[in-house]
Amino acid sequence: MSTTLERPALSTPRKVSPSKDGRTLIRSQVRAGWALLAPALLHSAVFIVVPVIAVLVLSLTDYSFGDTWAWVGFGNYADLFRDVDFLASLWHTVLYAIVVIPISMAISLAVAVGLNQKIRGLSFFRTAFYIPTVTATVAVATIWLWIYNPGSGLANGFLSLFGFAPNRWLADPATALPSLMVVGIWQGLGTKVIIYLAALQGVSRDLLESADLDGASRWQRFANVTWPAIGPVQFFVLITSIVGTFQVFDLVYVMTQGGPGSETRVLVMDIYQNAFQDLKLGYASAETVIMMLVIAIFIAVGRLLQKADAND
Amino acid sequence: MRRGVGLTLLAAALSVVVSSCGNGVIDKSTDGVPPAEATGTLRVLIPSFPPSTKGRDAFQKVVDDFHKTYPKMKVEPDFATYKNLNEKLSTSIAAGIPYDVVVTGVGWVQPFASKRIFEDLGKYGVTPDVIKEKSTPALIPAVTYDKKLYAYPLVADARAVALRKSAFIEAGLDPSKPPTSLAEIKTAAEKLTKRDKNGNITRSGFDLASATGFRQSFTTFLASTGTPLYVGGEPNFDNKAGLDTLLWIKSMINNVQPYGQTNAAQQPLVLTGEAAMGIVNGGVDCSADGIGQKNCDDLEFFRFNSGKEIEYVGGDLASIGSRSRHKDAAWSFIQTLTTTASLDAIAKLNKKVPAYKDASNSPQAKSNPLSQFVADGLKYAVNENEVPSNWLEMRGNFDIQLTQAVLGQKDPAKVLHNLAGQSR
Repeated sequence: MSTTLERPALSTPRKVSPSKDGRTLIRSQVRAGWALLAPALLHSAVFIVVPVIAVLVLSLTDYSFGDTWAWVGFGNYADLFRDVDFLASLWHTVLYAIVVIPISMAISLAVAVGLNQKIRGLSFFRTAFYIPTVTATVAVATIWLWIYNPGSGLANGFLSLFGFAPNRWLADPATALPSLMVVGIWQGLGTKVIIYLAALQGVSRDLLESADLDGASRWQRFANVTWPAIGPVQFFVLITSIVGTFQVFDLVYVMTQGGPGSETRVLVMDIYQNAFQDLKLGYASAETVIMMLVIAIFIAVGRLLQKADAND
Repeated sequence: MRRGVGLTLLAAALSVVVSSCGNGVIDKSTDGVPPAEATGTLRVLIPSFPPSTKGRDAFQKVVDDFHKTYPKMKVEPDFATYKNLNEKLSTSIAAGIPYDVVVTGVGWVQPFASKRIFEDLGKYGVTPDVIKEKSTPALIPAVTYDKKLYAYPLVADARAVALRKSAFIEAGLDPSKPPTSLAEIKTAAEKLTKRDKNGNITRSGFDLASATGFRQSFTTFLASTGTPLYVGGEPNFDNKAGLDTLLWIKSMINNVQPYGQTNAAQQPLVLTGEAAMGIVNGGVDCSADGIGQKNCDDLEFFRFNSGKEIEYVGGDLASIGSRSRHKDAAWSFIQTLTTTASLDAIAKLNKKVPAYKDASNSPQAKSNPLSQFVADGLKYAVNENEVPSNWLEMRGNFDIQLTQAVLGQKDPAKVLHNLAGQSR
């Protein structure tokens, strides 16, 4: 037997003009709100708004730390689209994001589902998956440098057990970027797993039990109950992953310096090179603006996909 | 009204924060003030002293000497590396706290002088004749921009070639007749290269010392044919000599040495026995703490000569920041840095040759056979020569594009043509 609960009819709210005391209360609440927001606003203004404005202005100049500079309009932007290093960096970054984001999200979700079961050694596994996230990237990169060492590295040692010839990994143009992607996927797992795990534990038990009672298979239960329930978290993970992968730098800086040639040169590496090695700050600022736009486009696409998914 | 007051307060708070970030530590100028009365902080950016206890102690001795003239000036060192030198310089300029003394290397002076970041040392009496008389004449092009001198040499970073006598004898070659031309080196290197049964190189025949890029090795090999990389700021490599040199490098990589080969200690591979022959830096430690006397005795040193005998020479070069407010004190500090005792200390710490007149008789040259060899060979010095003002940008371009040519990703002739077009 099933019971249908009817939603109680809501009465139309009447417009009530607040009393003098009420107005005073609202004003004091507004003031308190602004006071609480002030530190964050000040921080955002100093460390986000001012730098963004500075970057926008600098991108229209040829400033290079010298005594003189000139307005160049959109000259830097025009030059960028003729710059093979920039175009290569943009392509490598997009490729890195397209490969790393879905794979790391899928693996993280699978791991989180596994860790959400009642298995032995749960705490150990949770800690083990989170360790790469709290380890400094330089340390992570150094360990992976050894793993990828063509002469004495673990990767070639492991492959040799199956009779494979040694690979030059980071020194080979064909395998350098994929090798970095593997490290990026591995390093990013911990944070995503924790977020997914929290989301999975928030999925309504009632709904899951109802699905069980209706005879749903494990997959149907996941697809029709769990997946929709963790939708907002998926979007959050997607956005943070897009921002994180587009800002990849330290891993590349330590492991390959963008080489061999420019095979692993990514956007932030190119910006760093132009700004702090070549001292072309105006040019690097234009590159930064383009990076912000590309990230915005990716986030917008992610948002559209999430909306489409929610409407299905 | 209230909103207006709030916004004004926010703007005031912001301006306080921004201004305190930017200009808080600017000293009053001490130029023209008697040295004994001058006060302030002299900021020194210097990669010549490692930030170890030994390095700091050696630097402190320089500071103590400087304080004999400027007793009230505080000295604030920044022990940078060549890798982060530009970051330090650019961020200091952006922050409005420029360095007073800046030590850079070959290839840095022209770009910074063209941006008016370095001071012309002519006003302190530094002329080419002074450097010829007291320092290393080979470094005059490296400190000159627009016919003015912007730096004073501290040490010369010279490179030679070394071979393993035992490897030569094993391969049926005569170690007393080292191969010096590019063609001879290739023939010998192919005989010296050892491989495993799968064809993988287990000992390189020749170490090109180009793990991260081929800029310096290309410059060196090209110069050995009598062709400097740049002449008067104009490219001199987009020609037959340049192309032959690049094709030679291409024929060596993955033939006598795997691309990207390096060791954990970042030591020249011939010193560790991982290569039978190769480029070496300007010093070797033959003691038990270093590679040991037996290994040292197995080494023979020589120079490239494909028509011109050459030795690649870089160096540490001291300049005064043009925005310094203590230029007189900065010059006094450079004078203290360039005393014989200071230069000997810097040379020892870095295994480089002191940039004074009689470097062959310096304690560093006497301390090991390699330093003696490169010190004696300073008269054969070459480097990138008179680089264009966008050299800082070109350094990276050379490293990337030469690698792409060597690895077969780009046509070598087009790469050289492209690099010549980018030099300006």
